[in-house]
Amino acid sequence: MKYDVEKNIERLKMLIIVAIITLIGQKIGYGISPIQAIPGMILVIVLALIGFGLKEIIPLRIPAFAYAALITLILTMPYVPTSTFILKYLKQVSFLGVTTPILAYAGLSIGLHVAKMAKISWKIVVIACLVFLGTFFGSAIIAEIVLKIQGII
Amino acid sequence: MSERKDIEKELIKTKGRIKTHAKTHLTVLILVIVCEIIGIHKYQVGPGSVVLLPMLWAVIFGVLITPDALGKVITPLKSVVSMEECKLASPMLVIALAPLAVKYGSLTGPAIPMVIKAGPAFILQEFGNLGTIFLALPVALLLGLKREAIGATVSICREPTLGIISERYGIDSPEGRGVLGTYLCGTIFGTVFFGLLGGLAVGTGLHPLALAMACGMGSASMMTAASGSLATAVPAMKDQILAYAATSNLLTGVTGMYMVLLIGLPLVNKLYTILQPKIQGEEK
Repeated sequence: MKYDVEKNIERLKMLIIVAIITLIGQKIGYGISPIQAIPGMILVIVLALIGFGLKEIIPLRIPAFAYAALITLILTMPYVPTSTFILKYLKQVSFLGVTTPILAYAGLSIGLHVAKMAKISWKIVVIACLVFLGTFFGSAIIAEIVLKIQGII
Repeated sequence: MSERKDIEKELIKTKGRIKTHAKTHLTVLILVIVCEIIGIHKYQVGPGSVVLLPMLWAVIFGVLITPDALGKVITPLKSVVSMEECKLASPMLVIALAPLAVKYGSLTGPAIPMVIKAGPAFILQEFGNLGTIFLALPVALLLGLKREAIGATVSICREPTLGIISERYGIDSPEGRGVLGTYLCGTIFGTVFFGLLGGLAVGTGLHPLALAMACGMGSASMMTAASGSLATAVPAMKDQILAYAATSNLLTGVTGMYMVLLIGLPLVNKLYTILQPKIQGEEK
């Protein structure tokens, strides 16, 4: 695959827009000064662009989301020289503040399928409960077996 | 895949599309401002709390102002938020998810030494998170869901899963609706559910330490609720329970995304193709 410069310039523009919306949102919601958060937001944009870039260059079906998360993971591991620097600035970017614009775009987008959304309505609540039970007891049962084998319990 | 990408490029292009862009982003900005002003509302319910976050208002109001919802009643709204704006919102979501990926990555990096130190029980119980698929997928199919079931049951659907599914299938796809559904359910009543479950699970006879590990499912608030009520039920082991739960939670935070990407998604797709015709008959 080839790196599409034009497309990534468009992405950069869009990331800047999202960053501005987030800066305003997290000022209102969490009292974070937009000026102080700008360096962190620039870092976010750079790392996000690296994620999109890797997705295009590497011929695997791995989303940019995963690349961006993995690169940041590597750069923020202790003993990696970039870690303190990156963590210091990313602290000014609120996790919840980032989610609000995402869900606003999501709302607009799924608005095209209101009827289909309504069809799953209450069922999704039942399914979510089973999902919760599944992850909990799946882990508990494996942990029980392994801890018994190890003689810890 | 490649066709989809071209559409993405056409949509996010600003040239000749300034008006659509302006309307979309300003709408989102207004939504964000309104939702952040409304803020976080928490209601204590038993050992957990129902949490209403700004993101929940954002998705509700976002859906409401679309042409097929309030746009039908208040026609002038359609000139601001038309189908065009809704279409742009889909690739924008993938872009807006990237900062979340970075933020999420920065929460996992510092946890790596702990992952390396964690024993085999901690590592292996991570695979238990795939239990969502085995338990919830068949029921989802029985309830008549189609591809929505893939997104809804692939994992507990916290942020990494939301990111991966939205990018691979699009949030406006059946899979996207599924993942969003479970994600929002978890956000709203996850801590209530796990707060109750943490205490009640002692009745199953499983060892409290095994249950403690299960409390870490990749969400700090759900883990806190679950381990808190488990520790209240077994006060003698309180400190150990809280430590095991916190460790397991950090571990899931790190492994969760890779688990979904490398094992969960292929597995749920495979199981879907096997179970779907058996449960729902041949019609697609």
